[in-house]
Amino acid sequence: MKYLHQKVIVTLMFLILGFTMVLQFKNEVEDYSFVSIRTMADLQSAVDREKEEITNLKERINTNENKLQEYQQALQDEGSIKEVLRNELEAMKLVSGFVDVEGSGIILRLSDSDRELYEGENPNNLIIHDGDVLTILNDLRIAGAEVLSINGQRLLSTSEIKCAGPTITINNHTYGQPFVIKAIGDPETLSAAVRAPGTYASSLKEIYGLNIESYVSERVRVARFQDHMTLQYVTTLRKGE
Amino acid sequence: MLFAIIGLILGIVLGLYLPITYPATYSLYISVAILAAMDSVFGALRASIEDKFNTEIFVSGFFGNAILAGILAYIGDRLGVPLYYAAIFAFGARLFQNFAILRRHLLTKIRSQHK
Repeated sequence: MKYLHQKVIVTLMFLILGFTMVLQFKNEVEDYSFVSIRTMADLQSAVDREKEEITNLKERINTNENKLQEYQQALQDEGSIKEVLRNELEAMKLVSGFVDVEGSGIILRLSDSDRELYEGENPNNLIIHDGDVLTILNDLRIAGAEVLSINGQRLLSTSEIKCAGPTITINNHTYGQPFVIKAIGDPETLSAAVRAPGTYASSLKEIYGLNIESYVSERVRVARFQDHMTLQYVTTLRKGE
Repeated sequence: MLFAIIGLILGIVLGLYLPITYPATYSLYISVAILAAMDSVFGALRASIEDKFNTEIFVSGFFGNAILAGILAYIGDRLGVPLYYAAIFAFGARLFQNFAILRRHLLTKIRSQHK
């Protein structure tokens, strides 16, 4: 009797083993791997990024559709889209710096220091360098400057600021000091970007004694880019290619 | 032995035809539990060949090891440490060891029959 009892138990155990194994095999169709919380977070952020990308693309579709509608409207109303294209051209010119502009902003005048050198001091400390100008320009851009020019040279995306001895070369034109930087934007933010203690411009003024003056003006005029821009290496990439 | 095979086949048939599923999240715990159970089965086979088989030890080991391994894997998952490796190493190593002993017993049996 005891023998039979044992056999029933063994049968039952193996039944359970076979049962769970088969369940597992059936379940194991999809690949299961150990996933840590960090990988899950990474995947989550990747999904979020993709979603954001989708929203951006949808927005772009919307704007493009609006544009298309505008063209079609113009075609219907006037028979040509010349006017719309001209407006667009004007807007492009304004953005890229081929139009004289005016607006509120600041005028910044940088020139070398007048003070005497300390004994053994590096004379470079008293000179405005190309790097100083670059840093100040960048500070102004951070402060939201929409248009910048130095000594009348409009600053474009291709504009260089190059050290040329005691002078600085901008857009292939060389200027000696003083350098007059004009910036159009919110006057308060712009002047804070060069006047507030701790900013690069104020450090130059307070510590090195360079002559840096800034004026806020409601009407800063900035001339357009004077030269022609010729592109030698660039070709446009068509969309969808 | 015969009953064991019958039980196994019955279990496989039942598992194939009963519409029971569980979330894939528990899959890992179940696999570790199955490993533990298989370790118990091999242990039992070895014990039965050595004539030391004890039903109580087999049953308690079968369920105890399976549940412990499952819980260990679960805790490891919660802690972010793959603790189920411990179960895999322990039971895997013992499984092979048991199998080796089983093999030796069977080989000596066959050899003694031939002589």
